[in-house]
Amino acid sequence: MKENILSWITFVPLIGMAIVMLLPKGATGLIKGVSLVATGISLVFATMAWFWYDPAIGATGYAFVQEIPWIDAIGANYYIGIDGISLPLVWLTALLLFVGVPASFGIKKAQKAYYALLLLLEVGILGVFVSLDYFLFYVFWEIMLLPMYFLIGIWGGPRREYAAIKFFLYTLAGSVLMLVAIIALRLDSGTFSIPAMVELAMAGQLTGESLPGGGELIGIPFHHWVFWFLFVGFAIKVPIFPFHTWLPDAHVEAPTPISVILAGILLKLGGYGMLRACFPIVPSAFHEFAYFLAIIGVVSIVYGAFVALGQTDFKRMVAYSSVSHMGYVLLGTGALTLYGLNGAAMQMFAHGTSSAAMFLVVGVIYDRAHHRDLNGFGGLSQPMPVYWGMTTIAFFAALGLPTMSGFIAEALTLVGAYNAADSDFKVLVLISIIGIVICAAFLLWSIQRVFLGKLPEKYKDYPDMTPREIFTMAPLLFLCILLGIFPHLLLDKMTPSIQHLIDIIASVQ
Amino acid sequence: METYLEGMKAIAPELVLTALALGVLVLDLLMKGKNSRIVGYCTVIGLAAVGVMLAARVGDAPQTVFGMVTVDSFGTYFKLFTVASLIVVSVFVMSDRRERQHGIGEYYFLLLGAAVGIFFMVSTYHLLLLVLGIELLSLSSYALAGFHKGDRKSGEAAMKYVVFGGLSAGVMLYGISLLYGLTGTFELTEMASQSGLSGQLAGSPLPVAIAVVLVLAGFAYKMSVVPFHFWTPDVYEGSPTPVTTFLAVASKAAGVGALLRFLGGLFIGTDLAQVQEAVAEYGGQVGQLIAILAAVTMTLGNFAAMRQSSLKRMLAYSSIAHAGYVLIGVAAMSQVGFSAAMYYLAAYYFMNLGAFGVLLYFEGSVGSDKIDALRGYGYKAPLISIAMIAFLVSLTGLPPTIGFYGKYLLFVVGIEAELYWLVVVAALNSVISLFYYFRVAKALFLKDETDKSVVAQPLFAGMLGVLGVLTVLFGLIPGTIQDLVDRCGL
Repeated sequence: MKENILSWITFVPLIGMAIVMLLPKGATGLIKGVSLVATGISLVFATMAWFWYDPAIGATGYAFVQEIPWIDAIGANYYIGIDGISLPLVWLTALLLFVGVPASFGIKKAQKAYYALLLLLEVGILGVFVSLDYFLFYVFWEIMLLPMYFLIGIWGGPRREYAAIKFFLYTLAGSVLMLVAIIALRLDSGTFSIPAMVELAMAGQLTGESLPGGGELIGIPFHHWVFWFLFVGFAIKVPIFPFHTWLPDAHVEAPTPISVILAGILLKLGGYGMLRACFPIVPSAFHEFAYFLAIIGVVSIVYGAFVALGQTDFKRMVAYSSVSHMGYVLLGTGALTLYGLNGAAMQMFAHGTSSAAMFLVVGVIYDRAHHRDLNGFGGLSQPMPVYWGMTTIAFFAALGLPTMSGFIAEALTLVGAYNAADSDFKVLVLISIIGIVICAAFLLWSIQRVFLGKLPEKYKDYPDMTPREIFTMAPLLFLCILLGIFPHLLLDKMTPSIQHLIDIIASVQ
Repeated sequence: METYLEGMKAIAPELVLTALALGVLVLDLLMKGKNSRIVGYCTVIGLAAVGVMLAARVGDAPQTVFGMVTVDSFGTYFKLFTVASLIVVSVFVMSDRRERQHGIGEYYFLLLGAAVGIFFMVSTYHLLLLVLGIELLSLSSYALAGFHKGDRKSGEAAMKYVVFGGLSAGVMLYGISLLYGLTGTFELTEMASQSGLSGQLAGSPLPVAIAVVLVLAGFAYKMSVVPFHFWTPDVYEGSPTPVTTFLAVASKAAGVGALLRFLGGLFIGTDLAQVQEAVAEYGGQVGQLIAILAAVTMTLGNFAAMRQSSLKRMLAYSSIAHAGYVLIGVAAMSQVGFSAAMYYLAAYYFMNLGAFGVLLYFEGSVGSDKIDALRGYGYKAPLISIAMIAFLVSLTGLPPTIGFYGKYLLFVVGIEAELYWLVVVAALNSVISLFYYFRVAKALFLKDETDKSVVAQPLFAGMLGVLGVLTVLFGLIPGTIQDLVDRCGL
């Protein structure tokens, strides 16, 4: 059990999906039950893995490793394992999918297909986080796209068809280039194993010299084009300015639970991919472009915040706030300090909980008012006090109020970036402060517009949050506060692996 | 006498197939054209028997009989491919609700006749036999394209096919006559190993270039490679759908098989003969030309497919694009490159037969081949619609399907052959293709459920379901087909 716990976490949802497919269309209660149990078991296993995980292993390698030959002809293996960077994300995935099932109970259309796709999505996401074989990684990476396309496209809002295909095309455009880079890396290194590639890169061997023409793509050196192909593939997913334009559309059209998963986990795949499978594999290119990456990060922070400030659609505002918050990941990583990277990794987790909670917030009011116009609300604190309270916690977590996880993450990132070896980072830190201020502005302003002021007559009888809604949101808010007060719960698991990653990247100049 | 018997033994599958073709024709006459379904069943059983014969021969030592027929595993691969395609196409004919099921025995006869042509096309290094094989395939195909005598579109398709086919056959023959004039032989292996061609290359390579380009034009026409693709959309659209399927899958693969044979015999060499150094070097340049053709073909095919409103026409353009992908493996000009192309054809088999089958199913039920006409049918016919998603995903080249693995292999050989730019172009082309393939998925599932019903064809739908499962299964465990391709390398 302990040695193949990761396979259990990943494939229990697949078993759930198979059962859902076999159930008759009309047995919606049973379908929901099976989905809840499948995601629940996965969460229990993920929690067990959390406690079993020994951070000391992460200082040098991976825990719960399984390696089984898969496609002999090309040397692809079923090779999985986790370290301190992937562990929190695996657990977060299991949690958000588990929360996502009851959050979906309001959906009435083609429920069997919906829950089957939701479970397939979970398999894809978890697969990416546990894969240590690049081929396997890529397969899971792509498997995710299809259920997401249908989940947005079938159950989404009025412009769902446009948003679904836009999401699909954007992410595919990034991932096909990634595939070309992966193949080049495979041919040069002779293996698909990501840890083995990293070791070769540390030894200065992964340079494309064994490829025909020295691995040059129309005159561009191997490590440059491989880096950019991988980076853009991940950057689109994060999403980082200027690759972010699919995000607002996808978020606005997606049904609430899918927005939650999209913001909570799918965006993290991009950041995770960079840390796991891009920067340590082409570290020389990373050093060359680190400052540039940090600049893109800061542009995302500031630009995302300003655009969010200008939104009148509640959901669009939250979507743009994601662009802003995910910018910290790049800023902290670019600095290549322990604080910076710890902050970046923690920001992924913190944003995963706070943005998921914010999308649930939007979902709650949309279910009642059937619109999301920020200027159309007002005074909702009177009929819905619980809702007001939970929203405030979620928003404060997002804007980085001390005692909230977002604060720790952003503070670590900024301190880390300020102390970067390259003193030019200090300027970037100062600029990104603007983002924090704007972020606080639009979040507080939206609280004011929605909850304070005069209560329009038509909103008077709105019921407060139902127990189901509270049940889905409470664990996320609890985590926001818990990690704000006891950040070491997370940092203790992550730090050895982060330090290891820094050592790897820094060992190559 | 003994060698004669040996030869007959070697070409036994061809003989059985010919006998089968004549047999179904006689059977149809005996039945006085009453129930052609029985003729169809006989065709399928006969083809399965030929398939078993062929499968037993995989891995046998290559031999040349009658001085021109080369019997080897490479040829057997393409013959197996043809037989397997024809079995599915025959089922299509029987399941085609718009086709009458009486008095169409010659349908099967023509399909089998075309198959005999393919069998000889892919098993010779002798250019004359090659031309004979191509012509036998072409003549049967012309008649098949115009099979619906009263239908204007079908007639137009046949006419266009004949005109384009005649032209390209003439061009190819002219190229062959030039090669003969330069070398004094029709045998590719002799051309490559003797001094005639290399001497000419050392002196003035222009006549060789003209000859090679003209011969390539003939293959390009069969594979519908740009700029010899103009016939494809109209012929594919006008022909009865089972015939379109045959042209898109079996006939196209035969073109690839013969092309690989031609290039392999002339520029890479086989066990039978070594290639002169100058000739092999020249092959590299031909590879560059093919790489350019590949890029143009896939890009043009994909962009044209984006604008189609008819699913049938869209699949026609998509098949042009896929010819471009296959050419990556050909352009690599190496054994592994050719193997990758052969693997991709196997992927192409599953996903394209499947997609055309779904088209045929909906044509029969909905009465239209427009993509918009499929709105909301995904909920009415879930089995084949989900199978269709698998085919579309595979055609786009996404995991976990056989189409992805095929594309992966092509990209690998592309990079190994230093064709980085071509691989990037091909990768970006997948993104373009996603756009139009998923218009079908959108129509099926993203629209609200239709209130019209579909005609149940459980057996046909079951076969499409099996194709769908195999499309995914071979994506997860591609080893089986990989083994077959490895054993059948040129």
